[in-house]
Amino acid sequence: MTLLARDPRAPFVLTPPVLPLERRNRGYDVLLSLVALALALTGALLVWAATRDASGQSFLWRHLLNVVIATVLMVGAARLDARLLRLFGPVVYLLSLFGLLLVLAAGTRVNGAKAWLHLGGGFELQPSEFMKLGLIVGMAVLFSRHDQDEDLPPRTRDVLLALGLIAVPLGLIMLQPDLGSAMVLGCAVFGVLVVAGVRARWTVGLLILGVLGSVLAVKGGVLHAYQLDRFKSFMDPSVDPQGAAYNVNQAHIAIAAGGLFGTGLFHGPQTNGGFVPEQQTDFIFSVAGEELGLVGAGLIIALFAVLCWRGLRIAREADHAGRLVAVGVVCWFGFQAFQNIGMNLGLTPVTGVPLPFVSYGGSSMFAQGLAIGLLQAVRRRALD
Amino acid sequence: MAELRRQPLTPRRLGIVVALVMSMMLTLFARLYYVQLIDPHKPVQSAHLLHDGVIVVPAPRGLIVDARGRTLVANTSAQVITVDRDLLQQRADGGKGVLDRLAALLGRSPALLGKQITPCSPKVPAPCWTGEPFQPVPVAMNAPTSTVLAISEHREAFPGVAVQTVTLPSYPYGTLASHVLGYTSEITAADKARNTQLSDADTIGVSGLEQQYDALLRGVDGRQIVELNPQGLTVRAGGSTPAKQGDTLVTSIDLDLQKLAEQSLAQQLRDSRAAGKPATGGAVLVMNPNTGRILAAASSPTYDPSLFVGGISNADYRTLTDPAAGTPLLDRAIAGEYAPGSTFKLITSSSLVMHHEINTHDTYPCPGSVTIDGRVKTNYDSEVLGDITLRDALGYSCDTFFYRPTADEYYRDQTRIDNGKSAHEYLQRMAAAYGVGRAPGVDLPAGEQASGSYADRETRLARWRTDRAAYCAAARAGYRSVADTAQRAYLTELAKENCTDGWRYRAGDNADMSIGQGETTMSPLQLAIAYSALLNGGRIWEPTLGWAVVDGNGDVVQKIRPKVRNHVPVSQRLFDYITKSLDFSRGWAVSGAFAYIGSKYQNRLGGKTGTAEVFGRKDTSWLVSWGPTHKRHGHTRADFVIVGMVEQAGTGATAAGPMLKRIWDGIFGADGKPIIPGSRPERRLPRIDPQVKVAGR
Repeated sequence: MTLLARDPRAPFVLTPPVLPLERRNRGYDVLLSLVALALALTGALLVWAATRDASGQSFLWRHLLNVVIATVLMVGAARLDARLLRLFGPVVYLLSLFGLLLVLAAGTRVNGAKAWLHLGGGFELQPSEFMKLGLIVGMAVLFSRHDQDEDLPPRTRDVLLALGLIAVPLGLIMLQPDLGSAMVLGCAVFGVLVVAGVRARWTVGLLILGVLGSVLAVKGGVLHAYQLDRFKSFMDPSVDPQGAAYNVNQAHIAIAAGGLFGTGLFHGPQTNGGFVPEQQTDFIFSVAGEELGLVGAGLIIALFAVLCWRGLRIAREADHAGRLVAVGVVCWFGFQAFQNIGMNLGLTPVTGVPLPFVSYGGSSMFAQGLAIGLLQAVRRRALD
Repeated sequence: MAELRRQPLTPRRLGIVVALVMSMMLTLFARLYYVQLIDPHKPVQSAHLLHDGVIVVPAPRGLIVDARGRTLVANTSAQVITVDRDLLQQRADGGKGVLDRLAALLGRSPALLGKQITPCSPKVPAPCWTGEPFQPVPVAMNAPTSTVLAISEHREAFPGVAVQTVTLPSYPYGTLASHVLGYTSEITAADKARNTQLSDADTIGVSGLEQQYDALLRGVDGRQIVELNPQGLTVRAGGSTPAKQGDTLVTSIDLDLQKLAEQSLAQQLRDSRAAGKPATGGAVLVMNPNTGRILAAASSPTYDPSLFVGGISNADYRTLTDPAAGTPLLDRAIAGEYAPGSTFKLITSSSLVMHHEINTHDTYPCPGSVTIDGRVKTNYDSEVLGDITLRDALGYSCDTFFYRPTADEYYRDQTRIDNGKSAHEYLQRMAAAYGVGRAPGVDLPAGEQASGSYADRETRLARWRTDRAAYCAAARAGYRSVADTAQRAYLTELAKENCTDGWRYRAGDNADMSIGQGETTMSPLQLAIAYSALLNGGRIWEPTLGWAVVDGNGDVVQKIRPKVRNHVPVSQRLFDYITKSLDFSRGWAVSGAFAYIGSKYQNRLGGKTGTAEVFGRKDTSWLVSWGPTHKRHGHTRADFVIVGMVEQAGTGATAAGPMLKRIWDGIFGADGKPIIPGSRPERRLPRIDPQVKVAGR
């Protein structure tokens, strides 16, 4: 019992008058969250521009509501501690798996894919978005058990277990069929496997298997006709300009019209004319391309680059499990952004994935908010 | 290998991820840069996305012709100058030069012209173009020939400017029969909401026959399809369907008779005014009692329906509806309601005789005045005729003759009510049988035909219940705005009485009704219908103006026939008695005959005058006449019933009498050839030429 305010045995140190940035922010990466928020708010403007003529401000307000909910989820996820995080992965994985099964049984079909769950009251849920999160954390937990030496490659048993964990949801998502989500999921998991130190024969083998699998899928009739059409039109956009390639062509026209500075927000004829279907979701980038030009659209790409850089910085400084989570999230965001912007630019085939943070859509926004929160938690060394 | 394996694997592998992510982002940026700035073959909106636009070619409206096929409403072609915005915008200067030259030619500022051809939108306020953006914009309707020539001769100076020919309704006889023909107007948003088939280019009938038969007269619009690119610019013309002109409406109006009626009415107004009477307006209605067809309907003051062509100005419309200017838009012959005065005695006589309240052979007193419930009611000029028969009471038009029996009828009804029975109200029921209080059902829009009115116990009570508060308030306030003290006192007294006793139907009210006063009102058309019943054995017509509808091939597609609504419960013997009583051959014994004594056809006419008192105004002058009379199976028949009415012009014999005499002179050919061949209404439909050009027979 002491009456002194300070423990007299403690070494005397001068408290620095200004705390280092990291201490002040209790270990949060403010820039990371700000970049995500900037993307989401840019998205709000672009969604508004795309839907203003047909729906007024309703999409704008719903997008902003999604952003607010996602922010709350982010803050919540950032405050998770190690125990809860280790629980978080399996729980989200199992819940999402249940959701995926439910979708196959009673889902709503939008644009050919049965990927949505009606919750009533106009709310819909897309379990595959949350599965990305669940799988990434689940794998991180799997590869960072205490009995493992993190400097040695994971054991074959663990790798096979991981592949099993991946195969089930991947198969379910392919059944919807939602090729885009499956590819993003595969890519994120592949990133985790690579960084987890899985032997090269596994990773290279998986790559070869993936390529062979897609060739077989194209040739063997596993894919649906519309998916094949999308691939064909990707190879040659002039095949069917009114059909499969229509979206891509219209988006391409919009972006090409943008030039350096764009036509100005709300002043894109292609956007205002409603020529690009699904413009507020999968083709939101075409609004930026047309109305904000190279400067604005380039800025969006730059923001994604910064987002990935901050994520990878967190990965470099994190422990093994945290690193796996961070890499998984970065691979997810990076590949999904590449896939989405790529299809807007005619660089990748059309698969229905939203542009993270920017596209209109509740489930994806919430999952992404949670993911940013997880990165912040990793940064706080919550997994130590 | 061993050395390498001992190194930490993950940072190296993390490097792979970093490289991958960064290369993806760089790839995207490079591709974006290429697409937006470098690509030499930037994609543009392709022709596959063309859509069709429809330019409506309005159909010329159908003609309206008279009973002998003479055109009353025709079409004229007018030159309209249009501007094609597409072509203008494709020019190097954006069409500024062309607009400047055209504006100078039309005498307007280029800025205004520019606004007029800009399609309306939330950001573009009026003046602006309300039609489709791809449609050539009309900038001058009915352009003068000099302007048209200037444009046609210098086509190279006016690219995108065209001269089109459109049809507009025209009225070869000006204001003739304008009230019944009605007018047309441009389509409004409300019209389009009612009928989605309408297009902005159409003309729609909004009054009179033009409205009643609009669907037949409008025709079917033609359509010119144009292919448009996504920006809405015309790429090429597609197919087209020609416009189909509307059907021709043949009316029972006789052009010559109508002209004569209008001229005579106008002259009477001049004469009455010269005699110091206000003579604010008047009407003449000619009907065939045997067919129910209306042959002429004149109303004054009148208006020019061509004012409505191409849109009427607000100032003009205000004048046409201004009571101070005599409300020229009101059709006094069919939609006007007036106290019928003594002309109502046809109905009173029918009721009294048919219910055995008086008979046709006894005499009854015609004193100078009668006192009913303490109120003194006098004859016109307090004339005293002693004891007379109904024949003389009708002929000399004695009022006091009818007061006593109708007051007695009232008292009998009151006794019945006191005994718990319902009142007979014979007089009211007879009025209803003759069509008073109900729209006559003529083929005109519902708002353009008056129902007329009369008072009875039930309506009096119902009205008092709704208006009592207003009466009492007016009685308290005392009409301070009325300048004339006598009038003010009268109105205040009336309001006081209405406030407390307004529900009461009195003997005096019944007596007033017996001579067509009090709350009794009828339109000239309703009087014509009632007197037609006198001359056709009791049939009450739902009269018509339209006779037939003839299509573009000259074939009759629809015949319009008047319907018999009901028969009045009056014996043929009484009809014979009344027609004999009112036959002008009786000379001085019939009040209306004064103007006709000595004329060649005096013995072939009959008629009843009316002089209706209107509070605060001069008397309304009435004459209902019929002829040429002939006997069929011993009953009097006539081919024409003519009702004449002059507002504020004195007695029936002094204004309406001479007015109708000029018309009868024309019918009988007193000064030469009869204006109607054979002095009989046209019986056969005119032949309408297939080319839609109408030829008289």
